[in-house]
Amino acid sequence: MKMIVVFEKAPRLRHIGHLDLMRAMQRALRRSGLPLRYSQGFNPHILLNLAAPLSVGMPGRREIMEVPLEKDVQPEEFLKKISAALPPDLPCLSAHAVDDRHPAPMAQLAAALYEAEFDEIPENFQNIVESFLAQTEIPAIRKTKSGMKPCDIRPMIYGLNVQGNRLQMLLALCEKATCKPDLLLSSLFAFAGVDRPRSLVTRLQMMGEKNGAFVPLETL
Amino acid sequence: MNNLENARLEALLEIVQKPARYIGGEMNACRKEWNSVPVHFAFCFPDTYEIAMSHLGMKILYHLINERSDALCERVCMPGADMADLMREKDVPLFGLESRAALQDFEIVGFTLQYEMSFTNILEMLSLGRIPAYSRDRGENMPLIVAGGPCAFNPEPLAPFVDAFMIGDGEEVMHELIDVVRDCKAAKKSKMDTLRALAQVEGVYVPALYQVSYHEDGTIAAFSPADPAAPERVKKRVVKDLTNASYPPSIPVPYTEIVHDRMVLEIMRGCTRGCRFCQAGMLYRPVRERSMEKLLELADELQKATGYEEMSLSSLSSGDFTCLPELIRQLMKRYKEKRVSVSLPSMRIDNIVKDSLEEAQQVKKSGLTLAPEAGTQRLRDVINKGVTEEDLVRAVTDAFECGWSSVKLYFMMGLPTETDEDLQGIGHLAQKVVGAYYRQPKEKRSKNGLKVTCSTAVFVPKPFTPFQWAAQDTIEMVHEKQAALRQYLKLKCVNFNWHESELSMLEACVARGDRRLGDVIYTAWKKGCRLDSWNEHFKFDLWMDAFRECGLDPAFYAHRERPYEELLPWQFIDAGVSQEYLKRENEKAKAGITTKDCRKGCNGCGLHKWNVCDWVENPPLKETDTVSAPLFD
Repeated sequence: MKMIVVFEKAPRLRHIGHLDLMRAMQRALRRSGLPLRYSQGFNPHILLNLAAPLSVGMPGRREIMEVPLEKDVQPEEFLKKISAALPPDLPCLSAHAVDDRHPAPMAQLAAALYEAEFDEIPENFQNIVESFLAQTEIPAIRKTKSGMKPCDIRPMIYGLNVQGNRLQMLLALCEKATCKPDLLLSSLFAFAGVDRPRSLVTRLQMMGEKNGAFVPLETL
Repeated sequence: MNNLENARLEALLEIVQKPARYIGGEMNACRKEWNSVPVHFAFCFPDTYEIAMSHLGMKILYHLINERSDALCERVCMPGADMADLMREKDVPLFGLESRAALQDFEIVGFTLQYEMSFTNILEMLSLGRIPAYSRDRGENMPLIVAGGPCAFNPEPLAPFVDAFMIGDGEEVMHELIDVVRDCKAAKKSKMDTLRALAQVEGVYVPALYQVSYHEDGTIAAFSPADPAAPERVKKRVVKDLTNASYPPSIPVPYTEIVHDRMVLEIMRGCTRGCRFCQAGMLYRPVRERSMEKLLELADELQKATGYEEMSLSSLSSGDFTCLPELIRQLMKRYKEKRVSVSLPSMRIDNIVKDSLEEAQQVKKSGLTLAPEAGTQRLRDVINKGVTEEDLVRAVTDAFECGWSSVKLYFMMGLPTETDEDLQGIGHLAQKVVGAYYRQPKEKRSKNGLKVTCSTAVFVPKPFTPFQWAAQDTIEMVHEKQAALRQYLKLKCVNFNWHESELSMLEACVARGDRRLGDVIYTAWKKGCRLDSWNEHFKFDLWMDAFRECGLDPAFYAHRERPYEELLPWQFIDAGVSQEYLKRENEKAKAGITTKDCRKGCNGCGLHKWNVCDWVENPPLKETDTVSAPLFD
């Protein structure tokens, strides 16, 4: 069986990189005494999949990982044991068991909900965001492994929502198309013609698709 | 620090290199409420996080202090150069990793002195913590600055900056120090009265209570207490029973990769070999072993608390641990299932047993590191490194048979009495190692191919060793020798590394420096020296300027052979080993006579008078034993 686990990467740990986070999780799992599954080969390591890496500098409110297990374990027991093995800034929020054949979270991931909290926002921010979204095309330059590439990010924006000095962003996050919040914010403020204010961006929720609607990934 | 400073720090974390160094919050880090205790101890490691977190001593004392209900201990590390500059620019004080309290807010700020060339970092850290460097400039509301560790055995170069030094093993004296500070704080005693009280604690040296005078030639004329509270001599502390000494059953597990990212079992403290260049071998006497039972218990606790994949055994000479093969067998058996590998560092070549090599291979094959130290038998006899060429060839042959293919060989150059023949000997030994590899049948050789790395350090004479009077080679001599060695080591499969001779020269100055050197360190730091042990930050010229400005000559400290009659800056410290023993050993070195391992019988180093060598069966020697006494072998 596999356990689908929701955990938080608290703001204090936002500068921890993806590989360091993986190692921290693997060590926590080793501390937990749970029946883990190891990879084959000369240097076996614990099998563990995170739904999507989190950018350095970004906290994650409800991150998802998949932990394959050697033996069946009750989710309550899993949660108890893993919680005892995790530091306070990396708490586990929930866990549920699925069959080994259940698709990996990474494969079901479609989008993510982010929230930017700004030091200050321009006047008429609501209007700016609305006119920004009203565009049929939003050209942007994406940094890729093979260099800077022009692209249209409009189809990858599923929703923007202003709440006070915060902006919630539902953006594509899957193998085919990904729009990073950083790219969106740069485009938005370039469009507005104002300097981009300082902000802390948090990933609030990973999303999958069900019947044409976005639902929290862990519910799939 | 206050909210504003905290916000500024958060902003810095967005832009500095390796921000994970500065965030704390690791598994097993202490989370005590600041106001729940009267005494706050900042454990300062004068190097960056990656190095600090690899240090066992810090973990021992961090745990020991946090076990107390009346004190808390937080870690403070030297920031990287980029972070240090930004903190100064944006006015963010140096802080404890746990609570981000500013350094100034701790009652005690304690530095561990592991390496002489980290001393400018101490001044940098104090400055970043908004604490004046010189003790005389610190008022009543400033924290008490204390220091300990191996370099505290010659505390004089730091005497102007540090209020109190702890000499020797820290486990007991740390408790006593905190008790005194707690009581003095409660009784609202002045700083001077607190220092006087501290001077009563065995092993504590309070430099402000002593005075020094100098001869015209710069040597010390007299060193004496200037206060009735100060003892004539400061005796190092020894933890008699290592098995029952405090040891952390859990340690913080860093998120970011550090130098030694694993759990460490200190199996033994001290070494019986008596290598004449080795300061640790003299300072950490006598040898004390932890019991197997305790070690296995600690290993279990550590493994459960950390989840680490690797465990290493630590001591000055793990191969001498009485039950080493049994300990390794037990650890292997227990941790094979849990996939924990066990690595064996600082093995001496003369007692690597083949079966423990084979067992180590079961889990993980790390590189083999051997330290012949010198190239010829003559010179190895001079330094009392009781290892022969035969031992070395046997050890590497065994290792090659077990599939090893990477060997590191450590040597020193500039040892007393060294000649060109000794340097040629290094090349000769490297060749023997290569030969041993190619004598293996082809199918037994590793696919990776042979890699022999020869590292040569420049010999630095250290206090409390038989070579404490010796002159270090000048930089020119070292450069010549390095050039010659490059020729001798132009061999297939052999890599040659060497240490910066300039850095080693400064290390020699500071290691055997007196009180006046404090001003040199301060001036060098003022000029911008810090992180000296990091190649990219080392500024030799600024150090030389600092010496000139302070009117001192580095050669006086590094390149001068000191006569036996000279009063040495550290002589007021009683490290257990007697001056007579050190002189005797120095004379034997000159004559090329070796001294036996003290497990084979007492050599009368001085510790026998302390009644701490209880594992030695042979009776202690008498006071009357003299320099030429050949009866020790």
